Amino acid sequence: MSASRAARLIPSQPIVPGIVWGATYIAARLLLELELAPGVRVAVALAPVLPFVFTLVGLVQGIRSMDELHRRVHLEALVIAFPLTLLLVMTLGLLDLAVGLSPDDWSYRHLLPFLAIFYAFGIWRAWKRYL
Amino acid sequence: MEALPVKNRLRVMRAEREWSQAELAERLAVSRQTINAVETGRYEPSLGLALRMARLFGMSVEELFELEDGAA
Repeated sequence: MSASRAARLIPSQPIVPGIVWGATYIAARLLLELELAPGVRVAVALAPVLPFVFTLVGLVQGIRSMDELHRRVHLEALVIAFPLTLLLVMTLGLLDLAVGLSPDDWSYRHLLPFLAIFYAFGIWRAWKRYL
Repeated sequence: MEALPVKNRLRVMRAEREWSQAELAERLAVSRQTINAVETGRYEPSLGLALRMARLFGMSVEELFELEDGAA
């Protein structure tokens, strides 16, 4: 592994499958706004799973190809992002019990961007700690 | 952030050879940021990397890295 390759904190391997996954997810979201047969709706809803698996494989490969400090940064990012996700899910669950959240405002699909934000925040925090 | 209880002579050894951080990083196949973080004491390298560093400078790990006085 060359130093220039190791210097990349964001691995390149998951970028293409990640774009495919994102496009598939957006397409699925748009298609599910339409009136479709139940079987088709399920198929559309599951369509982003395979691209995500490829994205995940690429991400793991990318992180394994990094040098040890960058792997540490990603590990610490997960240490921050995972409990923040738990906190968000717990809080939303309790708020749902307390006041009944509208699924149009808060549902599983609304959590997705927060996971990416938490991970990015974790990377920023860990990066700041070491560099 | 508290300093780690390990100090090292990496910067001195690198300076003696007039290598930049990037050159040392290339020789060790790690990022320049890793070299910088080790030199500034913000990151303790793995045993494997410490051994590679020591071998590159022709010294033992104990000569390159040592615990701060009073560190357990």
